[in-house]
Amino acid sequence: MKRRRWLQWGCAHCTALAGLAAAESQPEWSAPARFARPELAGEEGGLWAMMDREEARLRRSPFRIRDEPLNRYMADTACRLGGVHCPDLRVYTMRMPYFNANMAPNGMMQVWSGLLLRMENEAQLAAILAHEIGHYLQRHSLQQLRDAKARAAFATLMAGFGVYGMVGQLVLLGTAFAYSRDQEREADSISVVLMRGTGYDTREAPKVWSNLLTELKAGKDNDETLDSILFATHPSSQERQRTLEREAANGSGEIGEDAYRRRLTPPRFELLEDEIRRGRYDESLVLMDRLLARDPGQAELLYFRGEVRRLRNADGDAQAALADLDAAAQTGQAPPVTWRSLGHMQLARHQRDAAREAWLRYLALAPDAADAALIRQSLEPLK
Amino acid sequence: MNHRSGVSHDPSTGAGRTAAARPDGWPTRHGSRHLRSKPDAALRRQALFATALAAALWVAGCAQVAHVATGQVVVGQRMMVDVDKGWNQFQFSLDDGTPTWTQEGVTVDALKFYVAKKDGELIAPTPSEPKGVVPLAFKSGMQAADVIVLYEKLYSRGGSTFKLEKVIPDTFVGVPGYRFEFSSIRKSDDLRLRGVAWFAVRNGELWAITYTAPRLAFFDAGIGGAETIARSARITL
Repeated sequence: MKRRRWLQWGCAHCTALAGLAAAESQPEWSAPARFARPELAGEEGGLWAMMDREEARLRRSPFRIRDEPLNRYMADTACRLGGVHCPDLRVYTMRMPYFNANMAPNGMMQVWSGLLLRMENEAQLAAILAHEIGHYLQRHSLQQLRDAKARAAFATLMAGFGVYGMVGQLVLLGTAFAYSRDQEREADSISVVLMRGTGYDTREAPKVWSNLLTELKAGKDNDETLDSILFATHPSSQERQRTLEREAANGSGEIGEDAYRRRLTPPRFELLEDEIRRGRYDESLVLMDRLLARDPGQAELLYFRGEVRRLRNADGDAQAALADLDAAAQTGQAPPVTWRSLGHMQLARHQRDAAREAWLRYLALAPDAADAALIRQSLEPLK
Repeated sequence: MNHRSGVSHDPSTGAGRTAAARPDGWPTRHGSRHLRSKPDAALRRQALFATALAAALWVAGCAQVAHVATGQVVVGQRMMVDVDKGWNQFQFSLDDGTPTWTQEGVTVDALKFYVAKKDGELIAPTPSEPKGVVPLAFKSGMQAADVIVLYEKLYSRGGSTFKLEKVIPDTFVGVPGYRFEFSSIRKSDDLRLRGVAWFAVRNGELWAITYTAPRLAFFDAGIGGAETIARSARITL
């Protein structure tokens, strides 16, 4: 997923949130009736068929997260928001460490794991799903797919040429559903209606974007304009913040923090590993801080924040990393890799006994680890 | 995440003995069949651009591919390997400037050579987007685990997965080093890959060879040849 696409989407939402208050004064939007499957012979039918083929690929994809309780939870949440359209909506959670979700005109929705990792509760997830359902109900994706079809022809041609073809495919993946700002505003307005109608607290919706902006700003030396021209052309952060605060004043209802946490905890370790591999440590640290603020002292999160700092290794990181890893170790629930990282850190500080102790603990907890032989070799000079 | 496609040519990466011939069996797919419908002017312009670009890439690709002869071959001026069967080589890799050999096509199997990477030198270019990604730079003070993390980041770029399967101390380029195995699912095409890397740090320089191929059939068929080359690797200067 391209960072620019990520930003575009997030920022479009921030801007669109300005329209949410306006939605209050507009006639209440009502959902259309269920869509009939278009005739295959027509253009729309052809596009649906194309999406059906993509969906078959998605269903088989090794990147699909096969965590049935989580998938059922995602489907149920979408169903609740979708109302009469529930039978036509299918949600696929994909292992992809970036912030993205999209919706096809045939009812296929993709939600990427990087987005899941950044949601704090069910209401925030509902805001995303409702937004995507809004695109579906307004048939925005149909027009985008017509454009994407043109890009697909381009990418298919490129696919015959090795790496360049792969790049073409990735570009296609990242831009297939780039909606216009008006479409984003409309989908946001609908998402608020759907959230309210199903009892979710709409005040959680703007938090998704304020959290995202905080994270992004950390990644580019606080200069919003560096990464996307949208930051230069969109309303200022201050204006966006005012909009967010205005929207936050309206709403109440279910937040569902415990329910969300329960569903996300099983796959979270793997998702956090993927997050670290993005190599965007400044952003990851903002995320880890936020997760830990909501769940102080949680061993897994302490390990990952310590690991991010250990890998970033900027000024002050070593000390902070050691503190996090130590704190994780003291919980008694830290993942075994905590002691592996502690060993590396202690050795770097010339604390040979402490390093040896940490690595021995790692090997005791994970004797069959992929790197066990490497650690055993590292222990040799410490005897 | 894109790999940078515009790379500068480093003449030091060329193989010692090559013949400028395009090997039989090199991929010759053409994708123009999907351009049969052109609903509007924008698509026509796009198709024309794509055709022109594809043609340019095709010509460039032909010029870059060479046959690696059997025998002793010098890679990157400072690494010598013994080659017992023919490989195809990109004079400079399409994606990152690393000398890359292949049997089946570079998107299928890839044998990559990292020759005498110095402190601060990148093992792959940093993508222009997204910004803020930590460069994949080798540091002479890196421990073995750090080097493995470096390649983990490389192979997981763009959302591909990486799983370290096994790492063992081993000898490489005549000095103590390591051999690690990994698996990966490539994001661009959902392909399940297996990989092996051999590396050592000598006098503050990183020496490494990596081999990746699809898990089914290709890896088992190619790992023997790759292992032979890695075992024979030595430093020439």
